[in-house]
Amino acid sequence: MAATFFGEVVKAPCRAGTEDDEEEEEEEEEEGRRETPEDREVRQQLARKREVRLLRRQTKTSLEVSLLEKYPCSKFIIAIGNNAVAFLSSFVMNSGVWEEVGCAKLWNEWCRTTDTTHLSSSEAFCVFYHLKSNPSVFLCQCSCYVAEDQQYQWLEKVFGSCPRKNMQITILTCRHVTDYKTSESTGSLPSPFLKALKTQNFKDSACCPLLEQPNIVHDLPAAVLSYCQVWKIPAVLYLCYTDVMKLDLITVEAFKPILSTRTLKGLVKNIPQSTEILKKLMTTNEIQSNIYT
Amino acid sequence: MEVCTFEKVGIRGTNIVVLGVEKKSVAKLQDERTVRKICALDDHVCMAFAGLTADARVVINRARVECQSHKLTVEDPVTVEYITRFIATLKQKYTQSNGRRPFGISALIVGFDDDGIPRLYQTDPSGTYHAWKANAIGRSAKTVREFLEKNYTEDAIASDSEAIKLAIKALLEVVQSGGKNIELAIIRRNQPLKMFSAKEVELYVTEIEKEKEEAEKKKSKKSV
Repeated sequence: MAATFFGEVVKAPCRAGTEDDEEEEEEEEEEGRRETPEDREVRQQLARKREVRLLRRQTKTSLEVSLLEKYPCSKFIIAIGNNAVAFLSSFVMNSGVWEEVGCAKLWNEWCRTTDTTHLSSSEAFCVFYHLKSNPSVFLCQCSCYVAEDQQYQWLEKVFGSCPRKNMQITILTCRHVTDYKTSESTGSLPSPFLKALKTQNFKDSACCPLLEQPNIVHDLPAAVLSYCQVWKIPAVLYLCYTDVMKLDLITVEAFKPILSTRTLKGLVKNIPQSTEILKKLMTTNEIQSNIYT
Repeated sequence: MEVCTFEKVGIRGTNIVVLGVEKKSVAKLQDERTVRKICALDDHVCMAFAGLTADARVVINRARVECQSHKLTVEDPVTVEYITRFIATLKQKYTQSNGRRPFGISALIVGFDDDGIPRLYQTDPSGTYHAWKANAIGRSAKTVREFLEKNYTEDAIASDSEAIKLAIKALLEVVQSGGKNIELAIIRRNQPLKMFSAKEVELYVTEIEKEKEEAEKKKSKKSV
Protein backbone atom coordinates (compact mmCIF):
# COMPACT_ATOMS: atom_id res chain seq x y z
CA MET A 1 0.00 0.00 0.00
CA ALA A 2 1.31 3.44 -0.74
CA ALA A 3 0.12 6.95 -0.04
CA THR A 4 0.04 9.41 -2.91
CA PHE A 5 0.66 13.12 -2.80
CA PHE A 6 -3.03 13.86 -2.40
CA GLY A 7 -3.42 11.54 0.58
CA GLU A 8 -5.38 8.71 -0.99
CA VAL A 9 -4.09 5.19 -0.57
CA VAL A 10 -3.40 3.10 -3.65
CA LYS A 11 -2.29 -0.47 -4.01
CA ALA A 12 1.32 -0.52 -5.12
CA PRO A 13 2.24 -3.32 -7.53
CA CYS A 14 4.13 -6.11 -5.76
CA ARG A 15 7.55 -6.90 -7.13
CA ALA A 16 8.03 -9.95 -4.88
CA GLY A 17 6.03 -12.23 -7.15
CA THR A 18 2.53 -13.60 -7.14
CA GLU A 19 0.19 -12.93 -4.28
CA ASP A 20 -2.84 -15.03 -3.40
CA ASP A 21 -5.24 -12.38 -4.75
CA GLU A 22 -3.61 -12.36 -8.15
CA GLU A 23 -4.18 -16.07 -8.92
CA GLU A 24 -7.93 -15.53 -9.15
CA GLU A 25 -7.46 -12.55 -11.41
CA GLU A 26 -5.19 -14.54 -13.71
CA GLU A 27 -7.76 -17.31 -14.09
CA GLU A 28 -10.41 -14.83 -15.07
CA GLU A 29 -8.12 -13.24 -17.59
CA GLU A 30 -7.32 -16.60 -19.18
CA GLU A 31 -10.97 -17.38 -19.66
CA GLY A 32 -11.39 -14.10 -21.46
CA ARG A 33 -8.30 -14.82 -23.55
CA ARG A 34 -9.43 -18.24 -24.68
CA GLU A 35 -10.49 -17.91 -28.26
CA THR A 36 -13.90 -19.02 -29.30
CA PRO A 37 -14.45 -20.44 -32.79
CA GLU A 38 -16.30 -17.23 -33.69
CA ASP A 39 -13.30 -15.16 -32.69
CA ARG A 40 -11.07 -17.33 -34.83
CA GLU A 41 -13.43 -16.98 -37.78
CA VAL A 42 -13.57 -13.20 -37.45
CA ARG A 43 -9.80 -13.01 -37.12
CA GLN A 44 -9.32 -15.13 -40.25
CA GLN A 45 -11.85 -13.07 -42.20
CA LEU A 46 -10.07 -9.89 -41.22
CA ALA A 47 -6.71 -11.34 -42.22
CA ARG A 48 -8.12 -12.34 -45.60
CA LYS A 49 -9.62 -8.89 -46.11
CA ARG A 50 -6.33 -7.18 -45.26
CA GLU A 51 -4.28 -9.42 -47.52
CA VAL A 52 -2.08 -7.66 -50.04
CA ARG A 53 -2.43 -9.24 -53.45
CA LEU A 54 -0.24 -8.61 -56.47
CA LEU A 55 -2.17 -9.07 -59.69
CA ARG A 56 -0.97 -9.56 -63.24
CA ARG A 57 -1.94 -6.79 -65.64
CA GLN A 58 -4.14 -8.45 -68.23
CA THR A 59 -5.52 -11.48 -66.52
CA LYS A 60 -5.85 -9.92 -63.05
CA THR A 61 -4.76 -13.23 -61.54
CA SER A 62 -2.39 -13.29 -58.61
CA LEU A 63 1.31 -13.57 -59.28
CA GLU A 64 2.67 -16.90 -58.02
CA VAL A 65 6.09 -15.53 -57.15
CA SER A 66 7.14 -12.07 -56.05
CA LEU A 67 7.37 -9.35 -58.71
CA LEU A 68 11.16 -8.98 -58.68
CA GLU A 69 11.69 -12.74 -58.64
CA LYS A 70 9.57 -13.03 -61.75
CA TYR A 71 11.21 -10.15 -63.62
CA PRO A 72 14.89 -9.22 -63.35
CA CYS A 73 15.46 -5.70 -62.12
CA SER A 74 18.41 -3.32 -62.24
CA LYS A 75 16.64 -0.10 -61.24
CA PHE A 76 13.48 0.34 -59.19
CA ILE A 77 11.92 3.76 -58.66
CA ILE A 78 9.08 3.88 -56.15
CA ALA A 79 6.83 6.95 -55.75
CA ILE A 80 4.73 6.95 -52.61
CA GLY A 81 2.11 9.67 -52.15
CA ASN A 82 0.26 11.81 -54.68
CA ASN A 83 2.92 14.49 -55.16
CA ALA A 84 5.70 11.96 -55.78
CA VAL A 85 3.37 10.07 -58.14
CA ALA A 86 2.60 13.28 -60.06
CA PHE A 87 6.33 13.99 -60.35
CA LEU A 88 7.09 10.59 -61.87
CA SER A 89 4.02 10.76 -64.12
CA SER A 90 5.03 14.09 -65.63
CA PHE A 91 8.80 13.79 -65.79
CA VAL A 92 9.63 10.11 -66.12
CA MET A 93 6.61 8.33 -67.53
CA ASN A 94 6.19 10.81 -70.35
CA SER A 95 9.78 10.41 -71.50
CA GLY A 96 9.51 6.76 -72.51
CA VAL A 97 7.11 3.93 -73.13
CA TRP A 98 6.19 2.22 -69.87
CA GLU A 99 4.21 -0.98 -69.75
CA GLU A 100 2.09 -1.94 -66.79
CA VAL A 101 3.19 -5.29 -65.38
CA GLY A 102 0.90 -5.57 -62.40
CA CYS A 103 -0.89 -3.85 -59.59
CA ALA A 104 -1.26 -4.35 -55.87
CA LYS A 105 -4.73 -4.66 -54.41
CA LEU A 106 -5.23 -4.03 -50.74
CA TRP A 107 -7.80 -2.81 -48.28
CA ASN A 108 -7.41 -1.05 -44.95
CA GLU A 109 -9.36 1.45 -42.89
CA TRP A 110 -7.87 4.36 -44.83
CA CYS A 111 -8.16 3.25 -48.42
CA ARG A 112 -9.17 0.67 -50.93
CA THR A 113 -7.17 0.50 -54.13
CA THR A 114 -8.83 0.92 -57.49
CA ASP A 115 -7.82 -0.41 -60.85
CA THR A 116 -7.48 2.92 -62.58
CA THR A 117 -4.40 5.06 -62.53
CA HIS A 118 -6.29 8.30 -62.97
CA LEU A 119 -4.45 10.77 -60.79
CA SER A 120 -7.28 11.95 -58.63
CA SER A 121 -6.65 12.78 -55.00
CA SER A 122 -9.62 10.70 -53.96
CA GLU A 123 -8.60 7.44 -55.60
CA ALA A 124 -5.83 5.19 -54.34
CA PHE A 125 -3.80 2.82 -56.46
CA CYS A 126 -0.53 0.90 -56.52
CA VAL A 127 0.67 0.05 -60.01
CA PHE A 128 3.96 -1.37 -61.29
CA TYR A 129 5.49 -0.56 -64.67
CA HIS A 130 8.61 -1.45 -66.59
CA LEU A 131 10.31 0.42 -69.40
CA LYS A 132 9.63 -1.25 -72.72
CA SER A 133 13.05 -0.37 -74.14
CA ASN A 134 14.82 -1.65 -71.01
CA PRO A 135 12.59 -4.09 -69.11
CA SER A 136 14.89 -4.26 -66.11
CA VAL A 137 13.94 -0.70 -65.13
CA PHE A 138 10.88 -0.74 -62.88
CA LEU A 139 8.63 1.96 -61.58
CA CYS A 140 5.97 1.85 -58.88
CA GLN A 141 3.24 4.47 -58.46
CA CYS A 142 1.75 4.03 -55.01
CA SER A 143 -0.84 6.56 -53.91
CA CYS A 144 -2.56 4.30 -51.38
CA TYR A 145 -1.79 4.06 -47.69
CA VAL A 146 -0.21 0.72 -46.78
CA ALA A 147 -0.96 -0.04 -43.11
CA GLU A 148 1.71 -1.29 -40.70
CA ASP A 149 0.47 -4.86 -40.74
CA GLN A 150 0.39 -4.89 -44.54
CA GLN A 151 3.85 -3.45 -45.16
CA TYR A 152 5.68 -6.75 -44.63
CA GLN A 153 3.27 -8.53 -47.02
CA TRP A 154 3.78 -5.78 -49.61
CA LEU A 155 7.55 -6.16 -49.36
CA GLU A 156 7.36 -9.92 -49.65
CA LYS A 157 5.05 -9.81 -52.66
CA VAL A 158 7.22 -7.22 -54.42
CA PHE A 159 10.79 -8.07 -53.41
CA GLY A 160 10.41 -11.68 -52.35
CA SER A 161 12.06 -13.46 -49.45
CA CYS A 162 15.53 -13.50 -50.99
CA PRO A 163 16.04 -10.43 -53.17
CA ARG A 164 18.82 -9.88 -55.68
CA LYS A 165 21.45 -7.42 -54.56
CA ASN A 166 22.47 -6.03 -57.96
CA MET A 167 19.64 -3.53 -58.21
CA GLN A 168 19.33 0.07 -57.11
CA ILE A 169 16.20 1.38 -55.39
CA THR A 170 15.08 5.00 -55.38
CA ILE A 171 12.10 6.00 -53.24
CA LEU A 172 10.30 9.34 -53.48
CA THR A 173 7.82 10.52 -50.89
CA CYS A 174 6.46 13.55 -49.05
CA ARG A 175 5.92 14.45 -45.44
CA HIS A 176 4.36 17.46 -43.76
CA VAL A 177 6.91 20.05 -42.65
CA THR A 178 5.43 20.04 -39.12
CA ASP A 179 7.01 16.60 -38.69
CA TYR A 180 10.46 18.03 -39.33
CA LYS A 181 12.38 18.49 -36.10
CA THR A 182 15.03 21.18 -36.15
CA SER A 183 16.63 23.69 -33.85
CA GLU A 184 16.05 26.40 -36.49
CA SER A 185 12.91 28.48 -36.40
CA THR A 186 10.22 26.76 -38.48
CA GLY A 187 9.26 30.08 -40.03
CA SER A 188 12.63 30.26 -41.76
CA LEU A 189 12.41 26.79 -43.33
CA PRO A 190 12.45 27.02 -47.14
CA SER A 191 9.48 24.71 -47.49
CA PRO A 192 9.17 22.61 -49.61
CA PHE A 193 12.67 21.16 -49.30
CA LEU A 194 14.29 17.82 -50.04
CA LYS A 195 16.18 15.51 -47.66
CA ALA A 196 17.76 12.15 -48.41
CA LEU A 197 18.33 8.95 -46.44
CA LYS A 198 20.34 6.09 -47.89
CA THR A 199 21.37 2.52 -47.06
CA GLN A 200 24.94 1.56 -46.28
CA ASN A 201 25.46 -0.03 -49.69
CA PHE A 202 24.37 3.07 -51.63
CA LYS A 203 27.70 4.49 -52.76
CA ASP A 204 26.56 7.39 -54.97
CA SER A 205 26.03 10.81 -53.48
CA ALA A 206 22.52 12.09 -52.88
CA CYS A 207 21.46 15.24 -54.73
CA CYS A 208 20.38 16.98 -51.53
CA PRO A 209 21.41 17.14 -47.84
CA LEU A 210 20.93 14.01 -45.75
CA LEU A 211 18.14 13.80 -43.21
CA GLU A 212 19.46 14.88 -39.83
CA GLN A 213 18.74 13.27 -36.47
CA PRO A 214 16.33 13.05 -34.66
CA ASN A 215 14.06 12.99 -37.73
CA ILE A 216 12.73 9.58 -38.75
CA VAL A 217 11.00 8.17 -41.79
CA HIS A 218 7.55 6.56 -41.46
CA ASP A 219 5.25 4.08 -43.19
CA LEU A 220 5.99 2.25 -46.44
CA PRO A 221 9.10 4.27 -47.40
CA ALA A 222 10.64 3.34 -44.03
CA ALA A 223 9.69 -0.31 -44.53
CA VAL A 224 11.31 -0.42 -47.99
CA LEU A 225 14.46 1.35 -46.82
CA SER A 226 14.81 -0.93 -43.77
CA TYR A 227 14.31 -3.98 -45.97
CA CYS A 228 17.03 -2.76 -48.35
CA GLN A 229 19.40 -2.05 -45.46
CA VAL A 230 18.89 -5.55 -44.03
CA TRP A 231 19.38 -7.22 -47.42
CA LYS A 232 22.33 -4.94 -48.31
CA ILE A 233 20.61 -3.49 -51.39
CA PRO A 234 21.72 0.03 -52.41
CA ALA A 235 18.73 2.29 -51.87
CA VAL A 236 18.08 6.00 -51.39
CA LEU A 237 14.98 7.75 -50.14
CA TYR A 238 14.22 11.32 -51.20
CA LEU A 239 11.85 12.89 -48.73
CA CYS A 240 10.18 16.20 -49.56
CA TYR A 241 9.00 18.19 -46.55
CA THR A 242 6.12 20.39 -47.65
CA ASP A 243 3.42 22.53 -46.13
CA VAL A 244 0.78 21.39 -48.62
CA MET A 245 -0.01 17.69 -48.60
CA LYS A 246 -2.56 17.77 -51.41
CA LEU A 247 -1.45 17.75 -55.06
CA ASP A 248 0.58 20.93 -55.40
CA LEU A 249 2.77 22.28 -58.19
CA ILE A 250 5.46 23.78 -55.98
CA THR A 251 5.82 20.56 -53.95
CA VAL A 252 6.12 18.44 -57.09
CA GLU A 253 8.72 20.80 -58.54
CA ALA A 254 10.77 20.46 -55.35
CA PHE A 255 11.66 16.94 -56.55
CA LYS A 256 13.39 18.35 -59.65
CA PRO A 257 17.00 18.05 -58.32
CA ILE A 258 16.53 14.26 -58.48
CA LEU A 259 16.43 14.50 -62.28
CA SER A 260 20.19 15.07 -62.24
CA THR A 261 20.96 11.84 -60.35
CA ARG A 262 22.44 8.82 -62.12
CA THR A 263 19.23 6.83 -61.75
CA LEU A 264 16.93 9.29 -63.46
CA LYS A 265 19.31 11.05 -65.85
CA GLY A 266 18.93 8.56 -68.65
CA LEU A 267 15.19 8.26 -68.15
CA VAL A 268 14.14 11.89 -68.52
CA LYS A 269 14.14 13.51 -71.93
CA ASN A 270 11.95 16.52 -72.42
CA ILE A 271 11.82 18.65 -69.28
CA PRO A 272 9.89 21.70 -70.68
CA GLN A 273 7.23 19.39 -72.06
CA SER A 274 7.05 17.58 -68.74
CA THR A 275 6.52 20.88 -66.95
CA GLU A 276 3.58 21.61 -69.26
CA ILE A 277 2.11 18.18 -68.60
CA LEU A 278 2.48 18.76 -64.87
CA LYS A 279 0.65 22.11 -65.09
CA LYS A 280 -2.22 20.45 -66.99
CA LEU A 281 -2.37 17.74 -64.34
CA MET A 282 -2.67 20.38 -61.66
CA THR A 283 -5.49 22.25 -63.34
CA THR A 284 -7.53 19.10 -63.98
CA ASN A 285 -7.16 18.08 -60.36
CA GLU A 286 -7.72 21.47 -58.79
CA ILE A 287 -10.23 21.17 -56.02
CA GLN A 288 -12.74 23.99 -56.24
CA SER A 289 -12.36 25.11 -52.68
CA ASN A 290 -13.76 28.44 -51.59
CA ILE A 291 -12.20 28.35 -48.17
CA TYR A 292 -9.05 30.10 -49.26
CA THR A 293 -8.49 33.16 -51.38
CA MET B 1 -0.08 31.65 -43.79
CA GLU B 2 1.00 30.85 -47.32
CA VAL B 3 -0.74 27.53 -47.73
CA CYS B 4 -3.14 27.20 -50.65
CA THR B 5 -3.38 30.93 -51.33
CA PHE B 6 -3.10 32.86 -54.53
CA GLU B 7 -0.63 35.67 -55.13
CA LYS B 8 -1.28 39.27 -54.16
CA VAL B 9 1.14 42.10 -54.92
CA GLY B 10 1.14 45.63 -53.57
CA ILE B 11 3.30 48.48 -54.90
CA ARG B 12 3.68 51.98 -53.55
CA GLY B 13 4.47 54.37 -56.36
CA THR B 14 5.18 58.09 -56.21
CA ASN B 15 1.63 59.17 -57.06
CA ILE B 16 -0.18 55.85 -57.13
CA VAL B 17 -0.67 52.67 -55.15
CA VAL B 18 -1.29 49.43 -57.00
CA LEU B 19 -2.82 46.16 -55.81
CA GLY B 20 -2.61 43.18 -58.13
CA VAL B 21 -4.11 39.77 -57.37
CA GLU B 22 -4.10 36.38 -58.98
CA LYS B 23 -7.62 35.41 -59.98
CA LYS B 24 -8.74 32.05 -58.68
CA SER B 25 -10.38 29.81 -61.25
CA VAL B 26 -14.09 29.88 -60.53
CA ALA B 27 -16.40 26.90 -60.89
CA LYS B 28 -18.68 27.00 -63.94
CA LEU B 29 -21.89 27.61 -62.10
CA GLN B 30 -20.42 30.08 -59.63
CA ASP B 31 -21.17 33.79 -59.93
CA GLU B 32 -17.77 35.40 -60.40
CA ARG B 33 -18.85 38.69 -58.88
CA THR B 34 -19.27 37.13 -55.45
CA VAL B 35 -15.64 36.04 -55.35
CA ARG B 36 -14.08 39.19 -53.95
CA LYS B 37 -10.36 39.61 -53.66
CA ILE B 38 -9.75 43.36 -53.48
CA CYS B 39 -12.03 45.12 -51.00
CA ALA B 40 -12.45 48.82 -50.38
CA LEU B 41 -12.40 49.75 -46.71
CA ASP B 42 -13.15 53.40 -47.47
CA ASP B 43 -12.91 55.70 -50.52
CA HIS B 44 -9.18 56.14 -50.07
CA VAL B 45 -8.12 52.76 -48.58
CA CYS B 46 -8.41 49.27 -49.95
CA MET B 47 -7.05 45.87 -49.04
CA ALA B 48 -6.27 42.47 -50.50
CA PHE B 49 -5.93 39.41 -48.27
CA ALA B 50 -4.53 35.93 -48.51
CA GLY B 51 -5.94 33.12 -46.39
CA LEU B 52 -9.30 32.04 -45.06
CA THR B 53 -12.06 33.92 -46.91
CA ALA B 54 -14.53 33.77 -44.03
CA ASP B 55 -12.02 35.23 -41.57
CA ALA B 56 -11.29 38.02 -44.03
CA ARG B 57 -14.98 38.85 -44.32
CA VAL B 58 -15.24 39.37 -40.57
CA VAL B 59 -12.10 41.52 -40.42
CA ILE B 60 -13.16 43.63 -43.41
CA ASN B 61 -16.61 44.28 -41.95
CA ARG B 62 -15.11 45.41 -38.66
CA ALA B 63 -12.60 47.62 -40.48
CA ARG B 64 -15.30 49.23 -42.61
CA VAL B 65 -17.41 50.04 -39.56
CA GLU B 66 -14.35 51.50 -37.86
CA CYS B 67 -13.61 53.71 -40.87
CA GLN B 68 -17.08 55.27 -40.75
CA SER B 69 -17.11 55.51 -36.97
CA HIS B 70 -13.81 57.37 -37.10
CA LYS B 71 -15.17 59.74 -39.75
CA LEU B 72 -18.25 60.51 -37.66
CA THR B 73 -16.37 60.94 -34.41
CA VAL B 74 -13.27 62.79 -35.53
CA GLU B 75 -14.70 64.25 -38.78
CA ASP B 76 -11.61 63.08 -40.64
CA PRO B 77 -11.12 59.99 -42.78
CA VAL B 78 -8.86 57.33 -41.25
CA THR B 79 -5.18 57.31 -42.11
CA VAL B 80 -3.95 54.10 -43.67
CA GLU B 81 -1.74 53.51 -40.65
CA TYR B 82 -4.68 53.93 -38.25
CA ILE B 83 -6.86 51.37 -39.95
CA THR B 84 -3.92 48.98 -40.32
CA ARG B 85 -3.21 49.33 -36.61
CA PHE B 86 -6.87 48.69 -35.88
CA ILE B 87 -6.86 45.50 -37.94
CA ALA B 88 -3.55 44.36 -36.44
CA THR B 89 -4.81 45.00 -32.89
CA LEU B 90 -7.95 43.03 -33.63
CA LYS B 91 -5.87 40.13 -34.92
CA GLN B 92 -3.59 40.24 -31.89
CA LYS B 93 -6.56 40.09 -29.50
CA TYR B 94 -7.54 36.78 -31.01
CA THR B 95 -4.08 35.33 -30.41
CA GLN B 96 -4.34 36.02 -26.70
CA SER B 97 -7.86 34.90 -25.85
CA ASN B 98 -9.03 31.54 -24.62
CA GLY B 99 -11.41 29.58 -26.79
CA ARG B 100 -10.58 31.57 -29.90
CA ARG B 101 -8.21 30.95 -32.76
CA PRO B 102 -6.24 33.60 -34.66
CA PHE B 103 -7.62 35.07 -37.89
CA GLY B 104 -6.07 33.06 -40.68
CA ILE B 105 -5.30 35.92 -43.04
CA SER B 106 -2.44 38.12 -44.15
CA ALA B 107 -3.47 41.44 -45.64
CA LEU B 108 -2.00 44.11 -47.88
CA ILE B 109 -3.53 47.50 -47.14
CA VAL B 110 -2.95 50.41 -49.52
CA GLY B 111 -4.18 53.95 -49.74
CA PHE B 112 -3.45 57.67 -49.56
CA ASP B 113 -3.50 59.73 -46.42
CA ASP B 114 -4.94 63.24 -46.29
CA ASP B 115 -1.44 64.65 -46.63
CA GLY B 116 -1.22 62.99 -50.06
CA ILE B 117 1.42 60.41 -49.12
CA PRO B 118 0.87 56.90 -50.51
CA ARG B 119 1.06 54.00 -48.03
CA LEU B 120 1.36 50.23 -48.19
CA TYR B 121 1.14 48.04 -45.10
CA GLN B 122 1.18 44.32 -44.55
CA THR B 123 -0.38 42.52 -41.57
CA ASP B 124 -0.13 38.86 -40.62
CA PRO B 125 -2.06 36.51 -38.31
CA SER B 126 0.13 37.33 -35.31
CA GLY B 127 -1.05 40.94 -35.39
CA THR B 128 2.19 42.57 -36.48
CA TYR B 129 2.17 45.17 -39.22
CA HIS B 130 4.89 46.79 -41.23
CA ALA B 131 5.11 49.43 -43.92
CA TRP B 132 6.51 48.35 -47.25
CA LYS B 133 7.51 49.95 -50.53
CA ALA B 134 6.43 46.82 -52.36
CA ASN B 135 5.43 43.40 -51.09
CA ALA B 136 3.71 40.17 -52.00
CA ILE B 137 1.67 37.63 -50.04
CA GLY B 138 0.55 34.14 -51.05
CA ARG B 139 1.99 30.73 -51.91
CA SER B 140 4.92 31.94 -54.02
CA ALA B 141 5.44 35.21 -52.15
CA LYS B 142 9.18 34.55 -51.88
CA THR B 143 9.64 34.38 -55.65
CA VAL B 144 7.60 37.52 -56.22
CA ARG B 145 9.40 39.40 -53.44
CA GLU B 146 12.77 38.50 -54.95
CA PHE B 147 11.57 39.84 -58.31
CA LEU B 148 10.42 43.07 -56.67
CA GLU B 149 13.71 43.48 -54.81
CA LYS B 150 15.54 43.31 -58.12
CA ASN B 151 13.20 45.54 -60.10
CA TYR B 152 11.79 48.11 -57.68
CA THR B 153 13.76 51.22 -58.56
CA GLU B 154 12.95 54.91 -58.43
CA ASP B 155 12.60 54.86 -62.23
CA ALA B 156 10.28 51.88 -62.08
CA ILE B 157 7.78 53.73 -59.90
CA ALA B 158 8.29 57.20 -61.30
CA SER B 159 5.21 57.12 -63.52
CA ASP B 160 1.83 55.55 -62.83
CA SER B 161 1.95 53.25 -65.84
CA GLU B 162 5.42 51.99 -64.89
CA ALA B 163 4.23 51.14 -61.38
CA ILE B 164 1.23 49.27 -62.81
CA LYS B 165 3.48 47.39 -65.21
CA LEU B 166 5.81 46.43 -62.37
CA ALA B 167 2.89 44.94 -60.43
CA ILE B 168 1.75 42.96 -63.47
CA LYS B 169 5.27 41.77 -64.26
CA ALA B 170 5.71 40.59 -60.67
CA LEU B 171 2.49 38.59 -60.84
CA LEU B 172 3.35 37.14 -64.24
CA GLU B 173 6.41 35.54 -62.60
CA VAL B 174 4.17 33.10 -60.76
CA VAL B 175 0.66 33.23 -62.22
CA GLN B 176 -0.03 30.23 -64.40
CA SER B 177 -1.98 31.42 -67.43
CA GLY B 178 -0.89 35.01 -67.89
CA GLY B 179 -3.00 38.18 -68.05
CA LYS B 180 -6.38 36.44 -67.99
CA ASN B 181 -5.82 35.50 -64.38
CA ILE B 182 -4.82 38.91 -63.06
CA GLU B 183 -7.03 41.47 -61.39
CA LEU B 184 -5.76 44.97 -60.70
CA ALA B 185 -6.85 47.93 -58.60
CA ILE B 186 -5.25 51.35 -58.25
CA ILE B 187 -5.73 54.43 -56.11
CA ARG B 188 -4.41 57.76 -57.35
CA ARG B 189 -4.00 60.80 -55.11
CA ASN B 190 -7.39 62.39 -54.37
CA GLN B 191 -9.18 59.89 -56.54
CA PRO B 192 -11.32 56.91 -55.53
CA LEU B 193 -10.39 53.26 -56.00
CA LYS B 194 -10.37 52.13 -59.63
CA MET B 195 -10.74 48.45 -60.59
CA PHE B 196 -9.25 47.56 -63.96
CA SER B 197 -11.33 45.58 -66.41
CA ALA B 198 -9.92 42.46 -68.04
CA LYS B 199 -9.37 44.40 -71.30
CA GLU B 200 -7.34 47.09 -69.57
CA VAL B 201 -5.16 44.46 -67.90
CA GLU B 202 -4.68 42.73 -71.26
CA LEU B 203 -3.51 46.03 -72.81
CA TYR B 204 -0.80 46.34 -70.18
CA VAL B 205 0.19 42.70 -70.57
CA THR B 206 0.53 43.16 -74.34
CA GLU B 207 2.68 46.26 -73.78
CA ILE B 208 4.89 44.31 -71.37
CA GLU B 209 5.32 41.49 -73.86
CA LYS B 210 6.23 43.97 -76.63
CA GLU B 211 8.85 45.57 -74.40
CA LYS B 212 10.28 42.15 -73.60
CA GLU B 213 10.56 41.27 -77.28
CA GLU B 214 12.23 44.57 -78.10
CA ALA B 215 14.70 44.11 -75.24
CA GLU B 216 15.53 40.62 -76.50
CA LYS B 217 16.01 41.89 -80.07
CA LYS B 218 18.39 44.56 -78.80
CA LYS B 219 20.35 41.95 -76.86
CA SER B 220 20.73 39.68 -79.86
CA LYS B 221 21.77 42.64 -82.09
CA LYS B 222 24.43 43.61 -79.52
CA SER B 223 25.84 40.10 -79.38
CA VAL B 224 26.06 39.99 -83.21
